[in-house]
Amino acid sequence: MPHRFHLPPQLVRIVLLAGGIVGSYLVARYFLTPPSFGDYGFYRGAALRELADHQPVYAGRKACKECHDEVVLKLEAHEHKNLACEGCHGAGQAHSDNPDIKLAVLTYSHCVRCHEKNLSRPKWHKQIVSKDHYAGSKCTECHVPHSPNEVP
Amino acid sequence: MSLEITNAIAELTPHFEGYAYPNEATPHPLWTVLIVLYPYITGLVAGAFIMASLVRVFEVKALQPVYRLSLLTAFGFLLCAPLPLLLHLGHPERCFQVMITPHLTSPMAIFGFVYAWYLMAVLLLELWFDYRHDLVVWSQTTTGLKSTIYRLLTVGVTDTSEPALKLDARIGHILSVVGIPSAFLLHGYVGFIFGSVKANPWWGNVLMPIIFILSAVVSGIALCVFNYMVLMWLRRKLVDMRCLDVMGMYLFYALVVDAGIEALDWIHRVYSAEEGFQVMQYMAQEKLFYTLNLGQALLGTLVPLLLLGSLQLFRHKVPELWRRRMYFTSAMVILIGVMAMRWNVVIGGQLFSKSLRGLMSYKMEFAGLEGWLMSAVLLCLPFVILAVLVKLFLSEKLPSSEHA
Amino acid sequence: MKNSYSRRSVLTVLGAAVTGVLASPAARTAKAAVQKVLASTGAAKGYDPTRHKWVMGIDVNNCIGCGLCAEACKRENHVPEGPYYRTWIERYTIAKPKPGSGDARGAATVESPMGGMNGFKDPELSKDEILHSFFVPKLCNLCQHSPCVQVCPVGATFDAPDGAVLIDPKYCIGCGFCIQACPYGCRFLNPRTRTAEKCTLCYHRITKGLQPACVEICPTQARVFGDLKNSGPDDPIQKFYRNNKVQALKPHLGTEPRVLYAGFDKEVS
Repeated sequence: MPHRFHLPPQLVRIVLLAGGIVGSYLVARYFLTPPSFGDYGFYRGAALRELADHQPVYAGRKACKECHDEVVLKLEAHEHKNLACEGCHGAGQAHSDNPDIKLAVLTYSHCVRCHEKNLSRPKWHKQIVSKDHYAGSKCTECHVPHSPNEVP
Repeated sequence: MSLEITNAIAELTPHFEGYAYPNEATPHPLWTVLIVLYPYITGLVAGAFIMASLVRVFEVKALQPVYRLSLLTAFGFLLCAPLPLLLHLGHPERCFQVMITPHLTSPMAIFGFVYAWYLMAVLLLELWFDYRHDLVVWSQTTTGLKSTIYRLLTVGVTDTSEPALKLDARIGHILSVVGIPSAFLLHGYVGFIFGSVKANPWWGNVLMPIIFILSAVVSGIALCVFNYMVLMWLRRKLVDMRCLDVMGMYLFYALVVDAGIEALDWIHRVYSAEEGFQVMQYMAQEKLFYTLNLGQALLGTLVPLLLLGSLQLFRHKVPELWRRRMYFTSAMVILIGVMAMRWNVVIGGQLFSKSLRGLMSYKMEFAGLEGWLMSAVLLCLPFVILAVLVKLFLSEKLPSSEHA
Repeated sequence: MKNSYSRRSVLTVLGAAVTGVLASPAARTAKAAVQKVLASTGAAKGYDPTRHKWVMGIDVNNCIGCGLCAEACKRENHVPEGPYYRTWIERYTIAKPKPGSGDARGAATVESPMGGMNGFKDPELSKDEILHSFFVPKLCNLCQHSPCVQVCPVGATFDAPDGAVLIDPKYCIGCGFCIQACPYGCRFLNPRTRTAEKCTLCYHRITKGLQPACVEICPTQARVFGDLKNSGPDDPIQKFYRNNKVQALKPHLGTEPRVLYAGFDKEVS
C-alpha cells in the first residue's frame, strides 16, 4: 500500500507558494551577487582596483625633480627643504604629463599664507606681521623662496 | 564665533550656533522628515497588529468588531512603509542589494527580510486564513471585477467544510502568536538602528528600541480607535461602546507603560548628565521646544492620560456621547504626539553637532522629494489604500462570517 | 478532491532536485554570462593590499593652520564645493580663566571656516587672554573597530586589508547610516554621486607609491604617513610614535582609532 499524506489543500497551496518565493529569491541572489563580492571581505573586491585607478592631480616632488633637479637640489639644501613644490606652485600632474601646460604664477599671498603672524601658530614657526614687516612690497625683493635666507 | 559656510542654495541659509564639524554644516540634516515617517508608519502597523492579536491570542471578545479593521489597517499601512525609504535613498535603484548582500552586522540589513516576512508570512497569511471562507462565498455571490479578485485570492482553494474552517482558525491563531514577536521585530529593529549609534548620545542608548515598540503599540491602538470611529461615522452606524471602552482601556494602560519608560529615559539622562548632556538639553529647549513640550509631552502624553484615565475611573458616570468624544480626542492627540516623538528622536539627534559644541537647524522645503507636500501624500496614501481595502473586504453589503 | 502524495510524486520531486544539482555547472556558466565577468582581479595591478598597513599620525605641535592640506585634498579628490570635506582643520582657542574665579581654564572656542581651506584669521581673543591656541587637522580615524563599516547594510564600505577604510561608490545605496555612525564627523553624502564619501588615504596615490595629497603638501610635517608593515625605526611614523606621547579622539567609544594625535589639550573632541 503506498503511503499517503493527507495535507489540507490550504496548506499545500501556501507551502508551494512559499517555496516558489524562497526559490526565486535564492535564484535571484545567485545571479545578482556581484562577481568579486567576498574576495577580500564583505565587499566587492573589484572596488579596490576601481578606487586605485583614479588619476592623481598632484605629482609629488619626485616628479618635479625629474626635470627641475637643480632647483630641487637647491631647495633641499636650505630651510624650505621640507616644503612641497606644489604647495606654492600648485597641482602639477597635468604639467608633469604635458609640460606645455604651465603652472600658476606665484603671488605675495603664497608667502604670507604660512608666515603671517597668527596667535594660534606654534612659536617655533617664523612669522611676521606683513604690514609692519615691509608694507606693500613683494617678499621676493628680499627673500629667495627656494633658499629663504639668501639675499637676492 | 561665527561659522563661515558655503551654501549652494542661497535662500535656505541654515542657522548654526557654536561649532559643528564642517561636514555637518549642510542645508538640512541627512535623515529628513521621510526618516521620521518611516518609523511612524511601521509603528502604526505593529501597533494595529498587536490590537488584532488581542482578539486572536488573548481572546478579548469585546474587541471582535475591530479585528478585521485592525488587520486591514496594518496591511494598508505596511504597503506604504517602504516608500519613504525609497524616496530618501541616494540610489533607490540599488535597494535590492540589501537582500542580495545583506551585511549581517547592520541592523538596517534586516529590513528586506523582516518586511517580506511580516508582509507575507504574517499579515497576508493571517488575513487569508481569516478571510478564506468569506472569499469563497463572495467569489460565488458577486460578479465582475470583484468576483475575479475574490476568486484569485482564494488561490483555488474552495473547501469550506467544518474541519477546513477549524484548521483555518487554528492556523490563524498560530500566525497571531508568531506575529507578535514579528511585529516587535519589524518596529524594534528601527529603534535599534538608532539605539546602536554610539556616536550620537541622543540616540545611542539601550531604551531606544523599547521606547519605539511601546509608542508603536500606543499609536497603533489609537489608529484603530480613530479608524473604527471614522468608519462607523461614515456608515452612519452606531459604535459598539463596549468595544470602544475596552480599546480605550488598553490604550490607557499602554500609554501608561510607554510614558513611564519615556520618563525613565528622561530622568536617567538628567540625573547622570553624561557627555553631551548640556548641548542636548540646550538643543531640546531651543530647537525642540514645541514638538517636545507641546507635541509629545502635553498633547501626546498628558492630555490623553488625563482623558483616558478619568474614563477608567469614572466611566459609568460619563454619558456615551462624551465618552466617544473623549476617545476620539485622545486617539487624535496620541497620533499627533507619537509623530512628534518620532520627529524629536530622528531630527533632534541631528540638530546638535557630534562635536557637542554646536547646533544646526532644519527648515523643511515645501515641494521636492523630502518636503511638506511629499509627507502629506505619504501620510494620506495609507488611508486611500485602506479605503479600497475596506470597500473590498469590509463591505456592509457582503455577508461575513467573522470567527467567534 | 484531497491532495495526497504517493511514492511516484515523491520520487519525481527527488529526481527534479538531483537534476538541479547536476545542472549547477551550467547554472554557473549562465551566471557568468549574465554578469559579464571581466578577467581582472580585485586589487590594483602590481599591488598586494595584504603586504601593507597604512596609517597616519598627526603632530599638532607642528600644524600652522595654513590650510594647504584641506585645499589639496579637495582638488586631488574632486570633492564638490560646499560643506563637504574629506579632511579639515579645526582651531582651538582656550582662554585663560577669569582672574579670581578659581577655574583651572577658561572657555574653549572651536572654529573651522571653510574647513580651514583658506587658512585662519587671528583668534578673537588677545594674546593676554589666550592660554593655548592650536590647530588640529582632522580626517578619517581609521578605526580598528569601525562603527561605519559595522552599520553598512550592503557591504559598500569596508576595511581594506591595507588599513584604509574605503567606500565602493558603485555599490553604496546612499542610506547615510555610516555617516550617522561615524563619531568623528569625517563622512558626508556627496551631492553629485549621492553616495557616502570620506578620506580614502588617497588610495589611488598610495597604491602607486605616492603619498596622500595632504601629507605631500604639508609644509611642516604635521601629518605623518607610513606603512606599519614596511617601516624601519627611522621611518617618520615610527619616530613619531617613539618621540611623542599620543592620544586618540573619543577613546571612550571603543572605536580604537589608528590615527593618533600628539600634542592636543583635553578640549579637543
